[in-house]
Amino acid sequence: MRYLDGEMTEAERTGFEKHLEDCDQCRRALEEMRALRCLTGSVAMKDPTDRFWEDYWKSVYRRIERKTAWIMIVIGAVMLLVYEMSRFVRFFGEITVEKTAAVILGVGFALLLVSVIRERAHQYKTDRYKDIQR
Amino acid sequence: MYSRMKMMDAEAGISKDVLIAWKKGNVRAFEMIVKNNMRMAYSIALGLVGNPDDAKDLSQEAFIAAHHARKSFDVKKPFFPWFYRILKNRCINFILGKRRRREISLDVLVEREDHGAAPDRLVMKQENREALWRALQSLSPEHREIITLREFHDMPYREIAAVLSISEGTVMSRLYYARRALLKALRRDGAVHGLEGDE
Repeated sequence: MRYLDGEMTEAERTGFEKHLEDCDQCRRALEEMRALRCLTGSVAMKDPTDRFWEDYWKSVYRRIERKTAWIMIVIGAVMLLVYEMSRFVRFFGEITVEKTAAVILGVGFALLLVSVIRERAHQYKTDRYKDIQR
Repeated sequence: MYSRMKMMDAEAGISKDVLIAWKKGNVRAFEMIVKNNMRMAYSIALGLVGNPDDAKDLSQEAFIAAHHARKSFDVKKPFFPWFYRILKNRCINFILGKRRRREISLDVLVEREDHGAAPDRLVMKQENREALWRALQSLSPEHREIITLREFHDMPYREIAAVLSISEGTVMSRLYYARRALLKALRRDGAVHGLEGDE
């Protein structure tokens, strides 16, 4: 491998070439690998367009910005919820079945809303056509 | 087309000051880091996952994850080997996980521009390039990774060892087994001629 990849010193190369003269097995193995290297060395990965690279950073930035926005929304929503719940308890005093049912109903709707928003966000993230202009 | 020089340029373009500023949360510094490393990150991800769209998504996700984990980065060390571990984990999880939806794209390899001067020039037909890409994608992630770094980025053993955090001896043996596996996959496919021989 080192011989083929040019990783040997001059002295090592000379020694190995001398060995090759007497060793059929090594010579065959080297030829095989050389043919493969010739094949892989003749190709390269296609470079995407300039537009692709222009959008690359913008997309990374957008995703970081959105993540930060989501974190702020969640923190704000939790703070508001805690505040409103404490106000609710203070205002209504005694806890009854109707009040409990109203709270459960409210929380259920809130969870449903969060679930729909999360699903939309996930769809957006995995949508391969999101960058295509309509 | 990517090369080792691009990686060296990328590393040279990021000073320690930029890394320190990024660690403190400076977005301009992060932009510089992304722009200096995005080509390398994308092409390594492409070698691992085989599809340009997935490679773009995963390499971008790796940059975002690196940004969120920047406090754990040691500015005395180079950025890329640290980032590479994040990128590789993302790609491996993706390959092994359920998120993989897209097919392997076959139109990824092109003939090397500087290959015309080589005396043993071998013009490859499109179907042969596709066969080579297919064979590469059939290898284990570990083999795919080392072939990508060596063959498509012309990285010397020393740099591969630094990026993968392994010894040069391990680079040599892993590369040998990866090439044997690639040879076997190409022979099995039978699309590329001139590689016939014993398995």
